[in-house]
Amino acid sequence: MDLKYTPEEERFRNEVREWLQANLPAERPEVSESENMDEWMAFLRNWQRKLSDAGWAGIAWPKEYGGRGAGVNEQLIFTEEMARAKAPNLMNVSIGIELVGPALMHHGAEAQRRRYLPKILSAEEVWCQGFSEPGAGSDLASLQTRAVIDGDRFIVTGQKVWTSWAEYSDHCILLVRTDASAPRHKGISCLLVDMRSPGITVRPTRQITGETEFSEVFFDGVAVPRENLVGEINGGWGVAMTVLMHERGTSAIGYQIRLRSELDELMELAKRIEKNGRPASADPLIQQKLAQSFIEVEILKYNIYRSATQIARNGSPGPESSIIKLFWSEMDRRQKEVAMELMGLRSQLVRGSKGAVDHGRWQRAFLWSRAGTIYAGSSEIQRNIIAERVLGLPRG
Amino acid sequence: MIGFSLSSEQVSLKKLAHEFAEREIAPVASEYDRTAEFPWPIFNLAHDLGLVNLSVPEEFGGPGVSVLDECIINEELSWGCAGIAGALGMNSVAALPLMIAGTEEQKRKYLNRLTIDREVASYAVTEPGAGSDVASIKTTARRVGNDYILNGTKNFISNGSYATYFVVFAMVEKEKQHDGISAFIVERESEGVSVGRKEDKMGQRASDCAQIIFEDVRVPKQNRLGSEGSAFRIAMKVFDRSRPVVATTAVGVARRAMEHAIDYARQRKTFGRELGQHQAIGFKLADMAMQVTAARWMSWHAAWLTDNGQRNTREAACAKAFAADACMQITCEAVQIFGGYGYMKDYPVEKLVRDAKGIQIYEGTSEIQRLIIARDLLTSP
Repeated sequence: MDLKYTPEEERFRNEVREWLQANLPAERPEVSESENMDEWMAFLRNWQRKLSDAGWAGIAWPKEYGGRGAGVNEQLIFTEEMARAKAPNLMNVSIGIELVGPALMHHGAEAQRRRYLPKILSAEEVWCQGFSEPGAGSDLASLQTRAVIDGDRFIVTGQKVWTSWAEYSDHCILLVRTDASAPRHKGISCLLVDMRSPGITVRPTRQITGETEFSEVFFDGVAVPRENLVGEINGGWGVAMTVLMHERGTSAIGYQIRLRSELDELMELAKRIEKNGRPASADPLIQQKLAQSFIEVEILKYNIYRSATQIARNGSPGPESSIIKLFWSEMDRRQKEVAMELMGLRSQLVRGSKGAVDHGRWQRAFLWSRAGTIYAGSSEIQRNIIAERVLGLPRG
Repeated sequence: MIGFSLSSEQVSLKKLAHEFAEREIAPVASEYDRTAEFPWPIFNLAHDLGLVNLSVPEEFGGPGVSVLDECIINEELSWGCAGIAGALGMNSVAALPLMIAGTEEQKRKYLNRLTIDREVASYAVTEPGAGSDVASIKTTARRVGNDYILNGTKNFISNGSYATYFVVFAMVEKEKQHDGISAFIVERESEGVSVGRKEDKMGQRASDCAQIIFEDVRVPKQNRLGSEGSAFRIAMKVFDRSRPVVATTAVGVARRAMEHAIDYARQRKTFGRELGQHQAIGFKLADMAMQVTAARWMSWHAAWLTDNGQRNTREAACAKAFAADACMQITCEAVQIFGGYGYMKDYPVEKLVRDAKGIQIYEGTSEIQRLIIARDLLTSP
């Protein structure tokens, strides 16, 4: 075991750091994702184009698809440096780069890779993920959106929910049922769907934070060319598993770094907030909780390193990625509960209220943290996976 | 002797409150959550039924119910909506200092305004720099002849935008710390009283919450409650009475979340069976039932003690902290059971999470309750 970076990797880190120093956008719009999405999207698109032109988007992707052809460690270093520089994240990174990319590289046809992958990196095309349905969330295999073959195309009918970024997406990686008589997992296919196709309706839904990041997407007789099938017909479950393993595993690099920098900010907040006549940072209970959060950030970091090693060796994070998903989402909840406790009564004030601490960002984050234990497989599902596929226990 | 049954009057009170919550509160709860308006129509209806000013004795026109009765009623109203229940319940808290320390004349004048004139009053203790730590309040009252001059700012004052008078805590002699604080009845109309912007809150949004500013406000001596320097002791007595009731706000919200979770666990099917048939989900429901039941009995016991003239400081703190923490946990687990739907405003449980968080904070945070419990454990014989 060696947890040090190699000299080459350290050189890579310096290169990233220097480039970021020279190229970081001087100004960014004073908006969060929820308030002025169009302006924010345009800003992110420009930023990502800059990154992509310099070869920083898709660090671990092969060169022929616009990537850098480097390894997972370089990806890790790059993400760390982006966070250190407080650089805006890549647009749609969690779906396009981290999910659709690996899915097409593992299962897609060469023509599909060449058509779609470079435009993900250059931010010319944004993706959404059409997996969950009203009746199929944690039990994804019970999905019912249908696709029927009609000559050289599929006709898709059904409904998806909790689709992030659907309003702003150009394409959707969609799971559909293509054989209703087969066992549940064996009748599913994966399609790449143009979100501007006739018959698609997107309806945003309002969530606990008051925002509308998630949407319902309705498909009413939507025609999808046959060449947009990923992998084999009725082979969609394998594609879905690749996507989910990546969603649960590698994409946590970003979460770990976010949780770490939020911990730093919480410590700053604890110094600013007064509790019983002294800074909250001097309160022994608060100290205990901040220390605990630091321990958890470190645990998460080493688990991600382990997962990165696994990917470097086998090309896939494996079912152990469920440990990471479970751990970051639950520690996120604990950390944000500490933030609420720190603020006391002021934790009740939302953005727009005069007395709201840090413009209400912490209680937004507190409410947001309730979503992490549900999406990409709820905590209960992750524990099932760990029990059955990591520990080898029989199906419950 | 121990008895676990409610009297027939209590059974009918519970029924009355539940039917009111079901018919008048629950259907409009999400609308008030959205608009954050004061629920005047419900307030007036509740008045007609005797569900407001619960602590005020009959001789001053109130229902004069026991603390235990108030717990029973408040659980049902909070089951309907904690924000609306808060708006209805605040008068009962504001009236407590008057009942504890008021003269006959003060009680007659100010309690009658709540019961006969249907006005709203607020209990104004909390400040920007003094929440759980009452002794660090900065609002001052300076003696000038037969009057006091008040200066300072109060924060998070429930029903503050609508109150016609406030019970205000102010420091008269700073060097005496706890024993330097006095309580005053201050008219909203007095010169120098202004109400700041209404706060935009995360939860319990139908319950108004405002900042009240006092600038050189002249308060006549006859509006002081009790003797000078007695306010801290008044506050402690208010807490003994109010904490068991606040604990039942948590019980009501938690019970509502549990009921929704049970319904959903029976409707929704995953992996070929009802959600509740998965042990991981069924056990969550079982935990909810244990906690709701335990929280209710703890609240009732703390209420019963004070109704019977016994000290309940430890029990009230235990009930308040346990119920509030359980409520937070139960509402979060309800969202978890609903999955993605739980996170959405179209479904009822996300509101309950937002409503729950405040209960862990106001009326003494969960941490303060533990401090009180620990101190009591370590100093009691």
